[in-house]
Amino acid sequence: MLTSFDISTSALVAQRTRLNAISSNIANMSTTRNERGEAEPYTPRYVTFQTDTNITSSGGGSGVKIGSVDLSTAEPNMKYEPGHPDANANGYVAYPNVDMTTEFVDALEASRSYEANVGVIEVSKNLVENTLRIIA
Amino acid sequence: MLSTLFGTSSVPLLEQVVNFTEARHGVLAGNIANLDTPGYTTRDLSPELFQQKLREAVEASRAPSMSTYGYGNYGNNMSQSADSVSRVDRNFAAFDHVKDSYNSILRHDGVDVSMENQVNQMVKNQQEHNMAVGILSNQFRLLRAAISERAA
Amino acid sequence: MNPISSPQIASPPPLLNPAMGPAKTGETSFKDMLFDSIKEVNTMQLDADKAVEQMFTGGDVSPAEVLTAVQKADLAFRLTMQMRNKLMEVYQEVRDIRI
Repeated sequence: MLTSFDISTSALVAQRTRLNAISSNIANMSTTRNERGEAEPYTPRYVTFQTDTNITSSGGGSGVKIGSVDLSTAEPNMKYEPGHPDANANGYVAYPNVDMTTEFVDALEASRSYEANVGVIEVSKNLVENTLRIIA
Repeated sequence: MLSTLFGTSSVPLLEQVVNFTEARHGVLAGNIANLDTPGYTTRDLSPELFQQKLREAVEASRAPSMSTYGYGNYGNNMSQSADSVSRVDRNFAAFDHVKDSYNSILRHDGVDVSMENQVNQMVKNQQEHNMAVGILSNQFRLLRAAISERAA
Repeated sequence: MNPISSPQIASPPPLLNPAMGPAKTGETSFKDMLFDSIKEVNTMQLDADKAVEQMFTGGDVSPAEVLTAVQKADLAFRLTMQMRNKLMEVYQEVRDIRI
């Protein structure tokens, strides 16, 4: 019965990582230079989940883990700004292909999922506490 | 005689479990308090080591003691009896060695030490503690019923 | 004078005389029930202790099973204790009968 706590916690950790990736994407929406200062737009990161068979309960439930953190393969947005210091030869600046609406909805989903897993932990705690009442 | 009053039940084992979960709670609480401290490494008491030591103590307590038949060893007489009712009086001094496992404090290197993980460990620890305390108080109530001869 | 013959003291009820067998053939006496239940209670207590041990040394017993076993042993003990108390009461009553 206590392994259900592990399963919910693995989900909490995974959703938190996903939220970190989303907040990084939103923060870097307009980043046109990479860490070395070269004119390279920020590539959005996406997190994929994977079933974690290391954390299993007796009934067959299993936990979740981060499968991979992938860089997006979408083309960067090109905007025509000839005066921009990072404009290319044609006057276009490459902006990261981050759609704020999509990212925000993902963030909402991740936070709701986090709350749902915390609710599951509450239910598990309730179960064990009620089991103890057999004795009392 | 009085010390063997608690000898034929699971009371010594439950005492050790309660002590361990209490000690571990303190360590985990320290981890959570220091989540933002720079340079702090999370520590933990290993439950696997504790369970192993506990298993060894249980087996040591079940083994018939080596002293000669009769004198001085209250329990040895009982274990020689062929009575179908098991009246082995066990050697519970072995349980004191379980305390050695409290001092081994792990330092996590690279293992998941996020806040969720620490809270998770603390919650599981709490459930085990409550269960051990519940069973322990039940055993004491049973002994009290036997002593006072009142079945209620 | 006729010697005073000793009054006929009723022989102790068969329940309290361990030398006697069951009162009627085919039926178990209260005494047998009591002794059997004492043995059973001991077995149940030992089983409950073993289940508790298994749970806390990392075995794969579920907490509900262990707690149920402990509570069953508890109730069995209390029931047997009550049976034994009733037997003592009966003995006291019989002993207090004035002849």
